[in-house]
Amino acid sequence: MSARSIAVAVLLVAGVGLQALSCLGIAVMRDTLDRLHYVGPASFGVLLVAVAIVVQESFSLIGDKALATAAVLLVTGPVLAHVTARSIRLHRQGDWRIGRDEDVEVEG
Amino acid sequence: MNEWLVAATVLLGLLVVCLAVCVAARAFDALVALEVSSSILAAVLLLLAEGFHRQPFVDLALIFAVLSFAGSLTFARLLERRL
Repeated sequence: MSARSIAVAVLLVAGVGLQALSCLGIAVMRDTLDRLHYVGPASFGVLLVAVAIVVQESFSLIGDKALATAAVLLVTGPVLAHVTARSIRLHRQGDWRIGRDEDVEVEG
Repeated sequence: MNEWLVAATVLLGLLVVCLAVCVAARAFDALVALEVSSSILAAVLLLLAEGFHRQPFVDLALIFAVLSFAGSLTFARLLERRL
């Protein structure tokens, strides 16, 4: 077993494990905002899978496109989480800004 | 069956969990499950491309990643309006 195949196996297990943890978080958590925390780690799972492909194939066309896919998901993941959180707040409160009666600590 | 296809099969099993949340939970929980399942499905397509040595599947994953972003944004925008 070569060092490359060991590295690929480790990256694959890590990527799949990270996505399994994200899936578990989605299933176990009660509140929507708690579940929202697991959107980000799932994108990193895709990155680990893409890196495994690059380790296997080096920087070929398939490796480059796999990295591009992971990059798209890494960039859009936090944006989606923010938009969803904003949407939840708008749905619950009617406005995304801090209300006068809300007790929010501001640092600084 | 190589290691890529085994990993793809495991991830397809995880998609069932996300689907169950989509069906059973409220609308916003379903949206979050949809976002996670988009990442999982993109990874599945990448793994299938490598496992079968089919390069077009990687293009599919890339296009899917972009389109799923647009779809999730649309759902989030629609759900905030108390439909």
